[in-house]
Amino acid sequence: MIEIAIDITLRQDAFTLTVRDTASVEVLGLFGPSGSGKTSLLEAIAGIRTPDSGEIRIGGRTLFSSAQRSNLPARERRIGYVPQDSLLFPNLDVKGNITYGAQGADLDALVEILDLSALLGRRVATLSGGEKQRVALARALMTRPSILLLDEPLAGVDRERRDLILPYILRIRRELHVPLIYVTHDRSELDTIADRVLLLDRGVSSVA
Amino acid sequence: MLMTTPIRFLLSGLTVLVALNAPVAAQPTGLVVSVAASVYDALEEISGLYRATTGVTVSLNPGGSNTLARQIVEGAKAGLFISADARQMDVVEKAGRVVAGTRTRLLTNELALVVPSDAKALTIERLLRGEVNRLALGEPGSVPAGVYARAWLEHEGAWSRLESKVIPFPTVTAVLTAVESGRVDAGIVYRTDAMRSKSVRTIGHISSTQHRYLDISYPAAVIAGPSEAEARRFLQFLMGTAARAVFDRRGFGKP
Amino acid sequence: MSAETWAIARFTVLMASIATSLVLPPAIAIGWLLARKDFPGKTLLETIVSLPLVLPPVASGLLLLWFFGRRSPVGRALDAVGIEIIFTWKAVVIAMVVISFPLVARSVRAGIEQVDRRFEDIAATLGASPFRILRTITLPLASRGIAAGAVLGFSRALGEFGATIMIAGAIPGRTRTLAVGIYTLVETGREEAAWSLLLISALLAFGAIYVSNRLVGQRGGL
Repeated sequence: MIEIAIDITLRQDAFTLTVRDTASVEVLGLFGPSGSGKTSLLEAIAGIRTPDSGEIRIGGRTLFSSAQRSNLPARERRIGYVPQDSLLFPNLDVKGNITYGAQGADLDALVEILDLSALLGRRVATLSGGEKQRVALARALMTRPSILLLDEPLAGVDRERRDLILPYILRIRRELHVPLIYVTHDRSELDTIADRVLLLDRGVSSVA
Repeated sequence: MLMTTPIRFLLSGLTVLVALNAPVAAQPTGLVVSVAASVYDALEEISGLYRATTGVTVSLNPGGSNTLARQIVEGAKAGLFISADARQMDVVEKAGRVVAGTRTRLLTNELALVVPSDAKALTIERLLRGEVNRLALGEPGSVPAGVYARAWLEHEGAWSRLESKVIPFPTVTAVLTAVESGRVDAGIVYRTDAMRSKSVRTIGHISSTQHRYLDISYPAAVIAGPSEAEARRFLQFLMGTAARAVFDRRGFGKP
Repeated sequence: MSAETWAIARFTVLMASIATSLVLPPAIAIGWLLARKDFPGKTLLETIVSLPLVLPPVASGLLLLWFFGRRSPVGRALDAVGIEIIFTWKAVVIAMVVISFPLVARSVRAGIEQVDRRFEDIAATLGASPFRILRTITLPLASRGIAAGAVLGFSRALGEFGATIMIAGAIPGRTRTLAVGIYTLVETGREEAAWSLLLISALLAFGAIYVSNRLVGQRGGL
């Protein structure tokens, strides 16, 4: 369980993102059509983007507050971010990617949970979409984040293989107890996993 | 992680290049003589004689007289300056770089009217009457040979007639090449330049003795600096008989 | 190929190598700054960096001549401590550095701009400091562009003539590079000697193009 308190506005090209929610959850689902601002919200939480105003508090820590003029840089937020394209570093191999931000997490355990032992010496360009996602998950988890942000984790994987990825995410939740914010445009993915779902429609959030 | 393949390749390449060539960086020191391009050849031969007789090696820096003068004015450590143009020596003198009393007329030269070796007959008189289509000159505003050529033509009253037919070139070599290739009917260069070229014919000379208003001379002067003593010695040698023989053979006139 | 020709060629290559080594670190720093940061005066910096590219090399040479000459404070200070620049090999390197710097900086900038900033963002979320990100992600991913820029700068330095002749002169054995040598030999009426210098220059140019293509066309690794 982690307390997530978000109250921000963030101007985009097409609309202004306004998100207001406070909840204690293990998995917060974020659902909305593409272009509704889901990625921007994750980027704001991760510290890659700065909201125009408002406040973000995760687990009792204030990550951003325009009132207090505080904005914790991304590298200090202890937030794991798995972006939509996985964005593995092309100049490092799989093991290099996974251990890039290592903060004392158990590499062997992660490799075991995510079935990565066969991939460790491989170059990133040779991986399939699903394999890249798993490596990206391991990379984020090696930093022992307080919360994990997943941006459309199944988007880069074809339908038949989706069921191969979801179990890994569930395993992470079960065995590592890392809270998740899970973003998707496919409502059905959230049924199995989310405690609470936030709907994002043209930049405005509401509880679903 | 920064040592990716391209970077590694690059660094090892640079290291190899530097290592293979490091000994080359050992540099000779000593007297540097800034010398106008048209006298460079002669100076090379003479400095060879100088080394044979005295064991002293003199470094020569050839160039356009205006560039050489500019360098000296800005403090370049040349010990001796031989200019193709009195104006440039004046510039250096005005800037206070010349050691007093050392400026001397080292050489004189003549202009030569040249035509392509297979060209039809042309004479100076016909040139002055305007009977050419294209006349190659060094840039009449800046190249010494061109400046003198223009002065001569103006004095003869032929400039207005010929001005539209003049094709200016930035260097004397370019003038010679233009004449050699037949792209122009005639050109005016130094006598010493014409002697170098095998494929032009000289059909006349224009000298200071006949035309007293033309002072086609090469001033030389010692430049203030650490090489002053050596420069004086070398200048003496340049005015001596051995050097004079070299200058004569190459077509330069006495001062 | 006479011994003198080889000596001039080796001298030129050595000077260009030293110049390129000197240019790379500041070019990488400035290239990164222009690629990734916005700040007041950025346009001014861009203009200053591009100046040697826009000015005729002879003009750059004149500025350098004044800068290191006896009439400028820098020139006088160097003279006071006994450091000679004009008419020495150092002037050759300086001319090459000044002329090639904009080319290398621009290539570095382009190379870094091509690196997806999201990689840098992700690295930040993984706890890396800005310097670590630069060292481990940005520069390695831009290394092909940086290396190609270095080859470009090296080639330009090899062929540099206008500024070199102004501050270094054409003294054989001391400051005469291939390009300066070709010009001088032609100017003093010795074209035959110039041909062998020209041949070596052409060979070096081919070599540089070959290396550049290898770098740009390289697959894998990154």
